Amino acid sequence: MKTSIAFALAFTALALLAVAPLILPEYWTGVLLGMTGYVTLATAWALFSGPTRYVSLATVAFFGVGAYTVAVLNEVLPYPLVLLCAAGIGMIMALVVGLSTLRLAGVYFVIFTFGLAELVRQTVSWWEVNVTYTMGRYVFLPFEGHHIYWQLLALAAITFLIAWAIGRSRIGLALKALGDDETVAAHAGIDVTRIKLFLFVVSSTIITLVGAIQAPRWTYIEPSIVFNPTVSFMTLIMALLGGAMRLWGPLVGAVPLFLLFEWLSGRFPDHFSIILGALFILIVFVMPNGVLAKIDDLRKGRQS
Amino acid sequence: MSAQLEISNLHKRFGGLVAVKSVSFDLKPGEVVGLLGPNGSGKTTVMNMISGALPCDGGSVRVGGKDVTALKPHKVSKHGVARTFQLVRPLPTLTVGENVLLSVAYSRKPKWGRAAQAIVDEKLEFVGLAGRGDEKVTNLNYIDQKRMEMARALAAEPEILLLDEWLAGLNPSELRIGIDLVQHLQGQGMTILLVEHIMEAVRALCSRCIVMSAGEKIAEGPSAEVLQDPVVIKAYLGDDHA
Ligand SMILES: Nc1ncnc2c1ncn2[C@@H]1O[C@H](COP(=O)(O)OP(=O)(O)OP(=O)(O)O)[C@@H](O)[C@H]1O
Ligand SMILES: [Mg+2]
Repeated sequence: MKTSIAFALAFTALALLAVAPLILPEYWTGVLLGMTGYVTLATAWALFSGPTRYVSLATVAFFGVGAYTVAVLNEVLPYPLVLLCAAGIGMIMALVVGLSTLRLAGVYFVIFTFGLAELVRQTVSWWEVNVTYTMGRYVFLPFEGHHIYWQLLALAAITFLIAWAIGRSRIGLALKALGDDETVAAHAGIDVTRIKLFLFVVSSTIITLVGAIQAPRWTYIEPSIVFNPTVSFMTLIMALLGGAMRLWGPLVGAVPLFLLFEWLSGRFPDHFSIILGALFILIVFVMPNGVLAKIDDLRKGRQS
Repeated sequence: MSAQLEISNLHKRFGGLVAVKSVSFDLKPGEVVGLLGPNGSGKTTVMNMISGALPCDGGSVRVGGKDVTALKPHKVSKHGVARTFQLVRPLPTLTVGENVLLSVAYSRKPKWGRAAQAIVDEKLEFVGLAGRGDEKVTNLNYIDQKRMEMARALAAEPEILLLDEWLAGLNPSELRIGIDLVQHLQGQGMTILLVEHIMEAVRALCSRCIVMSAGEKIAEGPSAEVLQDPVVIKAYLGDDHA
């Protein structure tokens, strides 16, 4: 009963968001677009990193690969196939990265994923300069802002559905368990490596698709634009602010932070990364489990 | 009858330290055997090698005739081996019931939904935690955490249970309850390897004992005899008492 009410609410919200660009001025469609992109990124990120507590800074590696795939293939293949290719490439890359790194623990994983994003960016730059002799590419797709927005909205809805389904399944239970104690999880019969790999691949594929869908928005693409590490950090901060262990946590974090970042990057472009860093530290210290958990705690505190 | 658990020439080094030195023993189906020895003698390390938590440096582990030596813990558990840990290891993000459900969901005959919940309730009731499935594990006191860990191990419907000082740290009345519980399992035909320092429990539960000292097996036999063995007394208490 509760589930069906939640679904009805979510569906209504989705429908309202879908018609919003027909009513709102163009500027606000752009804001909604960016926001939906980050909500999807943060939710997909939390899908893997929330329960496993493997903090990944590889978000932009996948995001950028998605965008670049579109930049390279948009004039060669029909658009749906381009998206499919992007998803496939993201999936294979996640498999390779996952197989080689998911044995790394804690801070080593963080550093590796950060390095990975840089490595991918440098490799793409090198390839473009030395092999294809192009630095920067154009994306010619007949999309306006609201077309891109609708695609992102659909992807966001799918991501929430996946996250919801996983949370209810035995995979969700296994993920929470191995985030607590991998040894115990393994002794309970869970193939720890396989489950982590599966989630990493699902999460990374969605992130790749966000990059791919957003690519037409830039028109002109070069590595420094689509492989900007700020994307990884913002995704991480949003998910942590809302709470990466809850289905709606990343959304709750992403919406206000996206608006704040929009405003800040316009007002203080030079100090933006310092503010980002300070905010990150603040969140980790004040509410390491996110706003939603904090509210729960406060409520319980008042009751008792 | 053939052995349920067969350990031969098990070996483990940690750097320069040889923690387990060619240890061999068998457990017959339905036997409850004590694995004794002073602190640091290698008992937990033996259990870790059986359950797959640690790789062996030599020797083999066979369960029901099948070689499980090189298998990871999740594979070993599929051969019907379950364990508890010397220091209780509850999963704090999960509720008491979910801790147990986990084992049901990933056992040899995995179940989910209502069928799984029935097993969870049954196991919680068996260990004396009936109706407490929705509680947080952090609300449980020490003995209840130990009970929950037992329920989690049993939920996989194992044939072999490895109990690493499961009775340690309990007060006398709790100890009585704990011993009854293990005896109940014994009655159901469970094969149990029991690491224990509490002699009262060993006498009550184990028909047979294996004693280790400094990584080596120094004695094996019926409990009453082994506990009188001068070699064992010396290992426990030092030379003066022998
Ligand atoms: N992971 C490890 N790395 C290094 N040394 C270890 C490790 N695990 C155990 N040891 C060492 O191996 C030896 C045997 O330890 P083990 O835990 O098996 O003993 P135990 O018989 O279970 O002792 P206790 O009765 O105190 O639990 C000890 O000297 C211990 O310090
Ligand atoms: Mg021990």
